[in-house]
Amino acid sequence: MPHEARTEAAIATRVLKLDARRRAARRRSSLKVAPEPGATPAAHEFRLEAVQRWMQAVIVHPGDVDEAIASPEASAEVAPERLAELVKPSHSLTPAERVDIYHGMYMLRMVEALESDYPAIRHVLGEEGFEQLVADYVQAHPSRSYTLNRLGDHLPQFFLDHPDRPDAAFLHDLARAELAITQVFDAEETPVLTEAAAKAVPEAAWASARLRPVAALRVVATRHPVMPFLEAYKHDRPAPRPRRRASWLVAYRRDYSVLRLELSRHEYDLLSALVGGAPLGEAIARAALELRASRREATVFRWFRTWIAEGMFAALEA
Amino acid sequence: MTSNRWNYPDLGLGIGLRTSHYGHILSQKPEIGFFEVLTENYLDTGGRPLFVLDKIAESYRLVMHGVSMSVGSTDPVDFDYLAKVKALAKRINALWVSDHVCWTGVLGRNTHDLLPLPYTEESLRHTVEHVRTIQDYLERPLVLENPSTYLEFTPNSMPEWEFVARMAEEADCGLLLDVNNVYVSAFNHSFDPVAYIDAIPGERVCQYHLAGHTHKGTHILDTHSDHVVDPVWQLYGHTIRRVGLRATLLEWDANIPPFEVVRDEVLKAKAWRDQEVSDAA
Repeated sequence: MPHEARTEAAIATRVLKLDARRRAARRRSSLKVAPEPGATPAAHEFRLEAVQRWMQAVIVHPGDVDEAIASPEASAEVAPERLAELVKPSHSLTPAERVDIYHGMYMLRMVEALESDYPAIRHVLGEEGFEQLVADYVQAHPSRSYTLNRLGDHLPQFFLDHPDRPDAAFLHDLARAELAITQVFDAEETPVLTEAAAKAVPEAAWASARLRPVAALRVVATRHPVMPFLEAYKHDRPAPRPRRRASWLVAYRRDYSVLRLELSRHEYDLLSALVGGAPLGEAIARAALELRASRREATVFRWFRTWIAEGMFAALEA
Repeated sequence: MTSNRWNYPDLGLGIGLRTSHYGHILSQKPEIGFFEVLTENYLDTGGRPLFVLDKIAESYRLVMHGVSMSVGSTDPVDFDYLAKVKALAKRINALWVSDHVCWTGVLGRNTHDLLPLPYTEESLRHTVEHVRTIQDYLERPLVLENPSTYLEFTPNSMPEWEFVARMAEEADCGLLLDVNNVYVSAFNHSFDPVAYIDAIPGERVCQYHLAGHTHKGTHILDTHSDHVVDPVWQLYGHTIRRVGLRATLLEWDANIPPFEVVRDEVLKAKAWRDQEVSDAA
């Protein structure tokens, strides 16, 4: 997904939210310590490594800034009562208030990044619910990459690991669908199989040939319908109540636009078998077993025509 | 008129490349001196962003600007990341590669913020060593930007401008002088922005940044969300008198207006540049 907002600048909404958090923090703050005259410590008292570990521990702490400064992780590096020895007050802010600027922006940045990858989950949970989810998630799966594009990779697993969260099974499905869409957006561009190239493969070789999908394609089977939630976000409509019913979809890219199609179970079975590398004859035979004999050929032919027209395959490898 | 140490060209006036402007740029091909590309947005994608970037690279001069090099971090240098940066620079023929004088995380984590360094001898030695390692790998000078900061460390043994100047000299790297950041940090830390500019080694400056910010009364946040304020234009005028003409880029990252609004904003710099040229004549 495009992450233009994942840059060095805080966005305006972030600033507004930060203001509210900072006002609350200022009311609570018990760490308004001014440095004593002449109390400037020697630099060697605070080694760079310790300063960075301390600041990171404070910034990523889920509580307010006072709790963050007093947390075991931060205290292990710098005792809370020594804050003013490490951070200067400004003409208008205490050391804790200055640290809180960074502390407040961290979570807003994480929320913004995950909103970009999981807009339907954000739509379902609402602002507060989503912020709580992000706070819990980044504690378990903090960013370890140079890019925020990878931050949300573990969200489906997070719901599996926390089955007690409300609607965890449904959100697991929705997260898998949204992650697939993100992966399709970022996948390598690959050439698309043309009808002429397909016809060039001798008919006798078709049964053992393999259809290689384009890189920008993912098939997803879910236990809950997810398309209504993707559509609710897209059209800014209220999200429906989740319900349990098996559902299948394919996300793919055409002309650099990400598209998605709902599939029938049989269609999914055949497509996922092909994506998994099964030879054409074997995949069709397996899927055909489930289809009514009178419609078998016409149905499979229609699917293939759609998939090839939509540019879902890169090559037919004999 | 002084030049920079590497004779990087004065590209004139440029704009940060943003998704919302892709359509306009591809269809209208607006006249602009150069675009600055946000490095990390193009490292791990083979989709539309890279396709658009390749198209734009055919018609415009590009420079790269990153946020994850973390030159001041005590973590080891991330060579996997650098390999991708190097490949992208080659792919789009980037004229230079820049990042920030900051750190973004330790212990393998990334906060994705440009965090301030303590300005101490230890930090300086460490940062210089990292910058040298990175430059060796990239096989080009690194251009580093002075950050906007919201706190100062009590054990600082030198002001930021001395740290930046010494780092540039000792690591033999370039500087991206963000005039708005100087103004923001000057307010936040109560120093004289002109003294900062005057202490910067001009021959190492390869590029300028300009941007709008958000004044909160008690402090200023570098939000890139508005027009450039008059005091920053005044400081820009002083900077080009002192340092010389350099590629000048406007950053607009939040509440991004139509392309023409951003371009009109950066074109305001032309009057300051023309004044400098006429004064120098």
